[in-house]
Amino acid sequence: MSDALESVKALADGFATTFKHLFRKPITESYPEYKRPLPARSRARIELTRDPDGDERCVACYLCSAACPVSCISMQSAEREDGRRYARWFRINFGRCIYCGLCEEACPTSAIQLTPDFETCKRDPLSMVFEKEDLLVDGCGKDPDYNFYKYAGVATPVGGKGEHVNESKPVNVRSNMP
Amino acid sequence: MPKLIIDNREITVPEGTKVIEAAERLGIMIPRFCYHPALGSVGACRVCAVKCLEGPRKGIQMSCMIDAQDGMKVSTTDAEAVDFRKHVIEWLMLHHPHDCPVCDEGGHCLLQDLTVSGGQGVRRYQGPKRTHTDQHLGPLVAHEMNRCIQCYRCVRYYQEFTGYEDLGVMQIGSRVYYGRFRPGTLESPFSGNLIDICPTGVYTDKPSRYRGRRWDFERRPAVCLHCSLGCHVTVSARYREVVRQEARFSESVNGHFICDRGRYGFPYVNLPERPRSARVDGTETGWEAALKIAGERLESAAWKTGPQGIAVVGSARCGLETQGMLKRLADAKGWRGPVFDIDPAAANVRTAVSRLDSDLRVSLREIETADCIVVVSADPLNESPMLAPALRQARRNGARVAVIDPRPASLPFQFDHFPVAPDDLAAAMAILIRKCADKEPLSELGKTAVRSLRGVSDGADIPDADGLAALYDDLHDSRRPVIVCGTHTAPPEIPGMAADLALLLRIAGPRAGLFYVMPGPNSFGAALLSDPALSFGDLVSSIEEGETKALVVAESDLFGSGIDWDRLQNALNKLELLVTLDYIDSQTTRAARILIPTLTAYETPSLSINNEGRVQQSPAAFRGGDPIARTGGGEHPPRAFRRDIPGREMGAAWTALPTLGGRNPGSAPVNLTAWLGDAHPALTSLPESSDFPPDGVRLPLAENAGERFQTDRFSHGEKEEDALTLLVADSTFGTEELSSLSPILKELTPSPCIQIHPEDAAEFDLSTGDAVRIDTGAGTAVLPVQTTDRIARRVLVIPRHRDLDDRLPRERRTVLSKTAIRKATEDA
Repeated sequence: MSDALESVKALADGFATTFKHLFRKPITESYPEYKRPLPARSRARIELTRDPDGDERCVACYLCSAACPVSCISMQSAEREDGRRYARWFRINFGRCIYCGLCEEACPTSAIQLTPDFETCKRDPLSMVFEKEDLLVDGCGKDPDYNFYKYAGVATPVGGKGEHVNESKPVNVRSNMP
Repeated sequence: MPKLIIDNREITVPEGTKVIEAAERLGIMIPRFCYHPALGSVGACRVCAVKCLEGPRKGIQMSCMIDAQDGMKVSTTDAEAVDFRKHVIEWLMLHHPHDCPVCDEGGHCLLQDLTVSGGQGVRRYQGPKRTHTDQHLGPLVAHEMNRCIQCYRCVRYYQEFTGYEDLGVMQIGSRVYYGRFRPGTLESPFSGNLIDICPTGVYTDKPSRYRGRRWDFERRPAVCLHCSLGCHVTVSARYREVVRQEARFSESVNGHFICDRGRYGFPYVNLPERPRSARVDGTETGWEAALKIAGERLESAAWKTGPQGIAVVGSARCGLETQGMLKRLADAKGWRGPVFDIDPAAANVRTAVSRLDSDLRVSLREIETADCIVVVSADPLNESPMLAPALRQARRNGARVAVIDPRPASLPFQFDHFPVAPDDLAAAMAILIRKCADKEPLSELGKTAVRSLRGVSDGADIPDADGLAALYDDLHDSRRPVIVCGTHTAPPEIPGMAADLALLLRIAGPRAGLFYVMPGPNSFGAALLSDPALSFGDLVSSIEEGETKALVVAESDLFGSGIDWDRLQNALNKLELLVTLDYIDSQTTRAARILIPTLTAYETPSLSINNEGRVQQSPAAFRGGDPIARTGGGEHPPRAFRRDIPGREMGAAWTALPTLGGRNPGSAPVNLTAWLGDAHPALTSLPESSDFPPDGVRLPLAENAGERFQTDRFSHGEKEEDALTLLVADSTFGTEELSSLSPILKELTPSPCIQIHPEDAAEFDLSTGDAVRIDTGAGTAVLPVQTTDRIARRVLVIPRHRDLDDRLPRERRTVLSKTAIRKATEDA
């Protein structure tokens, strides 16, 4: 008899809880009405950033495309008239990208960076293929200071031989003075 | 034969083998920067350290500096050795710039590999880095001295191996600098090898600068098509373009290196003007459709004029398959030809091929082991550049090298030059042959040989005849003499006489060898397969007379034959049908009624026979099609999905030819090697493409006896005292058909000039720098004079040049009267 009473009480308790919640304000935040701010290091849409001087950071070294496990990055490197190496064209197929971030890890110049912007769904697969002009942004992204050409040691407008960070003056091969 | 133990594995190696080589035979690659098999050891980089545990030496040793000896026990993995090597790499990296991302060597850099594998990925040194300024070294090699690790490979290669002095080493210690005294274009035509040989990125390839990484390239072995030697190269292709070529090691052909003509001659594949779509009567048509139309028109031409009204023409740059298919087509349909001897030197090549026997022939690498070399009527550096370093290696080993040639030969080593006029070459050779025939063991044969020389002067009037006689003594006393004979400008009897001399020498004692230099990459195949009864000159006459109505031209520029351009153009206009299959844009393709574009040897597997009868295979490097740089207009590739490769509908010339014969395209023979045997018996036993040996196969050639002496071939007329001989010569860059299309080599192509002996020049009141007006018989040209006393008397040499193509005679040797040249004055 007491077993039956306990069962009824349990049922009534359960229903009472459910009934009570019917009149409470929901705490679930629904997307897209509410967009949660994501941490800066979350991995979504990829962009190409610029160095503090405003010039393209990407030197088209092919390390990101080599690191990419799904081969979604392709590019053609070229030499600019002033000696800087740059990407003649640069293409990421976001239809294929798995946002693993290996490209960002491989990038020696901090050019390629993943952003928290994950809303890139499109109906036409071709519109998921981003060209360089779609990828290139103004600004340094997560790395505000680094300028590869200040350290590289190759002669560009950023610095000639011996003018980069931690370099001595070029050796004068016609002199025996140290 | 010392027996030693390396990493607990036993190996026996020949006396004098270095430990580093012995380990390599076991498959153990000891790290190295300065050691290179072609350059030997200097012990400069200290990175090949190993630990000798037992034996004559103990402790840390440089494995490139110690000979393998009995009882040695070597460890490459001993902790002390590993630690030593690790520190060496760290020292080498002290001043290395932080520029791998923008360095073209990155990805195939020995320094990068060893730094990473040695665990030195992070720099500990924080002090300032030593820097160097770079030099401009010409259009081929980019210089970035900051990256140098002072291994001395470049200088050892440049000065010791190829014998040029303009790149050297300056300064001491960490300030060591490799470069020229003043910036400027490197003088060596072998400078591209610096790129291959540098273990890091000091010398990188300038034409392909920033074009891609090695891991992205489609890399395949190939055979160079820019002279007859058939050197081995590695092709790097990307985005349907050939980007770069490198030397590939070959045991018996080129060794480790190639020349710059071979390295940078490839851009004809990528040129925007390369024909890529078929054209019928000026309108673009599908490839298959154009073939069908061509087949139908040829059939109706055959109805009208009979099969003899159609002729087929190929060239020495056609692959063996194309040459074989041309012959098969001509035989099957009863058409005339095939004619391959577009080049006027083809008759010489035929003689050479008939006289080269399996006993006598030597490979390019075997020349390096010769101890006395006579070069007859050849200009190695300009005709087949890689022959020059091979001769130099022989010279470095102590050989005597003599050049008997009218042209002002220049070679990067000490040699004896006999500047004999072309008319006297036979007499000069006769001196050698007569002296050889005098020797005892060949009394009977010798008599035959000497009989065959009737009609050749005794050579008394040749300058330095005594020198030649002394040269014979050296030949006779040598252990391994080699006769190198050119075919480009040689008078018709010379190739045969070279073979006579080699044959007699062999019977007289020394193990003589014979090496011919030929004009085209597949001249040998052309000589085997061409129709000996029909020359190109005859063919042009028969077109003019209206006997030949239709012409099928496969991969051949008829305007390179030297026949007067107006005459040839008129003849081609008389044709009812001109079908041209080619992969370069030429006057012949522009004149074609039906143009069928074909694939280059980079895009389709192809066979070729080099100058010593070696059949070599070159697989397709990439699949062809319009390069992405073209479809995208230089910017990003088109934004479209498609399954096929744009521009890939064309095929190889030999796959197209059966359709021209009226058969459907599917009937191209499947078993290539079997039907090549039908084309010529020597080609019967070629291996299948899958098991083609890396160094190719040498064709079995007739083991000929001494019965081959040429008799009654000499028809010397009276020498005209006042006449001058004009030689149309080759130069390293700018004269070979395919490489002359290369924009990379344009800057290195010498400008046109005329070379003459100063005493002859004085007769015409000329000196270096003067302009001379010359009537070559084919046209008039005004050229600057270069006087040189290394040239034969009464000889004029004009290196071929694209700007002069229409004004130089067809024959490589022309006799001109003295009135043909005169000083060009201001008012003329």
